Amino acid sequence: MKTDRLLLAGIGYTALTVLAVFCLFPFILVVSSSLTQESTIIENGYQLFPSAFSTEAYRLLFDYPAQMLKAYGITIGVTAIGTVAGLFLTAMTAYVLARKDFKWRGKFSFFFFFTTLFSGGLVPWYLLIVNYLHLKDTFVVLILPMLLNVFYMIVMKSFMSGIPEAITESAKIDGAGDFLIFRRLILPLSKPALATIGLFIALGYWNDWYNALLFVQKDDLMPLQYYLYRMLGNMDGMRKAMMQSGAVVNMDLPTESLKMAMTIVATGPIMLAYPFIQRYFVRGLTIGSVKG
Amino acid sequence: MTFKRKPVSLVLALVLAMATLLSACGGGNKSSSSPSASESASPSATASASASGQASPSGGADTPEEVKLKMLLVGGKPADYDAVFTELNKLLKAKINATVEAEFLDWADWSQKYPLKFAANEDFDIAYTANWAFYNDQALKGGFLELTDDLLSKYAPKTWEAMPKVSWEQAKVNGKLYMVPNNNQEVTDKAVLIREDLRKKYNLPAVNSPETFANYLKTLAQNEKGILPFQAKAADGWKWHELDQILLEQQNEWNLVDYNIPLAYKLDDASGKVFNVYDTPEFKQLLTYYKDLSDNKAWSRNVVSNKNDQWQDIKAGKAASYAQNLGTVAANLAEMRRDKPDVELAIADLTPDKKKIGAISTQNGLAIHANSKHVERALMLIDLLQNDKEIHDLTMYGIVGKNYEPVGDNKYKAGPNAANYTGFSNWGWNSPLNRTDASYPQEASDMGNTWLQKVYHFPLETFVFDDSKVKNEVANVGNVMLRYAIPLEYGLVKDLDKGQADLIKQLKAAGIDKVQQELQSQIDAFLAAAK
Amino acid sequence: MNGQGFWGDVRKYRTLLLMLTPAVLFFILFAYVPMAGIVLAFKQFNYDGGIFGSPWNGFDNFRFFFDSGNAWMVTRNTALYNIAFILVNNLLQIFAAILLFEVAGKWFRKITQTVLFLPYFISWVVVGAIAYNLFNYDVGTVNAVLKAVGMEPIDIYNTAAYWPVILVAVAAWKTLGYGTVMYLAAITSIDTEMYEAAEIDGANVFQRIMRITVPNLFPTVIILFLLAVGNIFRGDFGMYYNMVGNNGLLFSSTDVIDTFVFRSLTTSNEIGMSAAAGFYQSVLGFATIMLANYAVRKYDKERALF
Repeated sequence: MKTDRLLLAGIGYTALTVLAVFCLFPFILVVSSSLTQESTIIENGYQLFPSAFSTEAYRLLFDYPAQMLKAYGITIGVTAIGTVAGLFLTAMTAYVLARKDFKWRGKFSFFFFFTTLFSGGLVPWYLLIVNYLHLKDTFVVLILPMLLNVFYMIVMKSFMSGIPEAITESAKIDGAGDFLIFRRLILPLSKPALATIGLFIALGYWNDWYNALLFVQKDDLMPLQYYLYRMLGNMDGMRKAMMQSGAVVNMDLPTESLKMAMTIVATGPIMLAYPFIQRYFVRGLTIGSVKG
Repeated sequence: MTFKRKPVSLVLALVLAMATLLSACGGGNKSSSSPSASESASPSATASASASGQASPSGGADTPEEVKLKMLLVGGKPADYDAVFTELNKLLKAKINATVEAEFLDWADWSQKYPLKFAANEDFDIAYTANWAFYNDQALKGGFLELTDDLLSKYAPKTWEAMPKVSWEQAKVNGKLYMVPNNNQEVTDKAVLIREDLRKKYNLPAVNSPETFANYLKTLAQNEKGILPFQAKAADGWKWHELDQILLEQQNEWNLVDYNIPLAYKLDDASGKVFNVYDTPEFKQLLTYYKDLSDNKAWSRNVVSNKNDQWQDIKAGKAASYAQNLGTVAANLAEMRRDKPDVELAIADLTPDKKKIGAISTQNGLAIHANSKHVERALMLIDLLQNDKEIHDLTMYGIVGKNYEPVGDNKYKAGPNAANYTGFSNWGWNSPLNRTDASYPQEASDMGNTWLQKVYHFPLETFVFDDSKVKNEVANVGNVMLRYAIPLEYGLVKDLDKGQADLIKQLKAAGIDKVQQELQSQIDAFLAAAK
Repeated sequence: MNGQGFWGDVRKYRTLLLMLTPAVLFFILFAYVPMAGIVLAFKQFNYDGGIFGSPWNGFDNFRFFFDSGNAWMVTRNTALYNIAFILVNNLLQIFAAILLFEVAGKWFRKITQTVLFLPYFISWVVVGAIAYNLFNYDVGTVNAVLKAVGMEPIDIYNTAAYWPVILVAVAAWKTLGYGTVMYLAAITSIDTEMYEAAEIDGANVFQRIMRITVPNLFPTVIILFLLAVGNIFRGDFGMYYNMVGNNGLLFSSTDVIDTFVFRSLTTSNEIGMSAAAGFYQSVLGFATIMLANYAVRKYDKERALF
């Protein structure tokens, strides 16, 4: 009887350890390289242990600590507001689409899904936001365009479809309105899905630099990832431009270790937050217990 | 649980959601007057009309009301921007009753943002532009105001005087001028940076020709383990072998019309006959030369995937040569002397006796935005930037004592805060007033001066190809060059003849003939008009 | 119930419709309005005319793509890569999610799950640089190991055949944590009563996994599959570009529509031409998703996307 459990545990621990090693190994490379002297990286490539220790890259990143902290602040603010608002709207929309008694759910699903297939491209998008909505250089522009994502809506809908209809039905008989059912019954039952999609939305906001690239010029509004992107991109871009324009600018920056340090700086906080989200994935948060 | 309550919270949620959307829409009443791209039909026409309209009665540089100009520059905003531009604005206020504010498009993303600024018809008067920064394209799409001789001579008189005629001609797109190019006399020839100490170690003859260079590379490959004799830059879409400008173009005295297509003419061919360089005996011979080097490990087998910075590799002692323009090579030489004085480098000219070509003026420049409302004042500003000593010094090098120290009249030394005012496209107003870095290596300035004296002038010097009729073909030809020519040139294709035949065949399929015809007819027309 | 037909339904679903309103407005504003820009694919864009006033030029913007002789190759590559990604990524993610759910150690589970997420945070630029360090011929780690054990070094960057394997492996590696979370959430949502019933029936753990966990993941799998199918003709530019770059020797097996278009347009900067390529991808994706959705509908109406 217990052999199957042992076997599964054996497979589980082995396979997961192998996968974890594959995922951890490059990351250690990144951490180590971020702490290695630039010249050593150029001579010997990335190493698992820094042979010539240096915090130069981090010093460079925090050269303007005020700017860096401000960027963190913007990113945290955008992520927090965007995730709460986005998650609520995503769940609300997904719930309606998951209601099997809603006659037009197929049509609305198509209406949403269609937008993932066709898009007008960059120019009309830019014109809309800048010339018609006048959102350039506003805090809102970092949140609003990414508020809803069809992919998340549909995954959420698929999760919610798993909730037995009986729950909605019995609540209706008790006289509950649709929104109340959603808020009081469906949301608590969807915790794993909310945690997952919430995480995805948060990651999306946390990692976004493109909206900032297009629409933010003010230093005060620069989110972290764009700040880092610009720092690195400026070095590469300048080199290229110099060669084409014949201009000469002297600069000597530790690009390699800087790239790695940026990864750490940008990853750290959200990785620290991740274990807290994990508690929503534990076993036992099930429909059965609520139904009873 | 009770379910009797009205869904107040739903209404609340909806109101909130709507409010966000609406605030987004209504947020900017202030700029509701800003025209959309589609509404403002032909801004260039109106702008130039108003410009000449205002200009004619007063005649001179009459500047009754103060205006605020906006300038679009490329590059990171320098840390000392405020200090320098406050100073600049004091001067401008006195001289032309205007102030200027610059917007910086970072190197990281300027190529995406730059065209969007035009598409959205944003408010700015002056924009940095260059042949490598879509000058032709933006001009043809109507992004820039046409600059007439009248406008220029009236509002930018010093520039109008100082600029060589050739430079104006080179900046014309379909016969019309849209840019005030920089006024910078230099030669674009490429030089090679080599490890002089290693050359001496093996008693090699001076490197000054393709043969001596090959000898240098092969000797190093054989004897110096762990050093790449030659390194190419990280692949960035450049469609040629790194040495092609030297060994194909300079060596044969050809001029490649546009580095995105393999079409060239001979410098001394008065008829301007265009040919496909891949289909020449010279190219075939060069392939053998490259193949020999490649087989002898003169460069990495993975040279086309290289992700390292060539100069950093040389500095770290991992590579022993690379090719680049004289200015860059010289700056690197100076850097090595400063940081690692025990390593001896030298600049090598592999084609010392060949004809030299002057740099095309559109390498850097400034243009006026098609919908600028302050055309005259913008031109006056450009005039000052390029030809007013005080303003030129300030905008090019920053503040004396902080960012730089003047050395005599035409040299400078980096100041303590030099890094706080550098790295952006103030190159747009390069002019004879430019100072040179006092630490610039003497041999490099000597070489540059010798080159300048040998500049060869030829009828097609000011010809610029307008590829708008063959855009599709040019796109495809470029793709073929990356895919077939580069591996072939770096010696990664075993059978050279077959590789070359494949390349030519693919080019034909991509439409090279049509491009060649178009180019030839434009050249013929150009030459006919010049007569 | 008074009122029949459309308005009757509107009344009946008024709360649900109200709940949909924010999302509907959002997508009208941010997706459908700018969609008008598709016309750029058929226009010769200039600033004077803007999006609507610029002159039409028919299918001229599409010519660079179809005349190149590479249209079929890059389209095929794009689709094949995406099919491989869908299969490999999802299988691996489901596998990892089931194991994570089943193994007992709480700390092991937490740490592993966090570690599996790490690659997601390493940007493609950095991944590309690490790959170059591993794979390059002269000093790459892979070849150093091969040489150490007395084998011939392999020239990975000059051999197209290795790259499909490398790219599929890298994509699986990078998305592992992200996808696993999604499947883990799906497994967590499975009613525990089912497991208890299975236990009473005397099923062993493998039977339980195959009979309960896997079938219950099916809806999620189908949805993710359908979502992926719509984008089967779009390539992750960041991945291909940073892994392969401009290495022409590898294009036969690595070039996808997005990289091809990027390379073709770096010099011309033509808005209409990139719009044309995007439109081509959209139309193909649209056709494919309609077919796939139709097939799913035939099999089970509830599982279809719309």
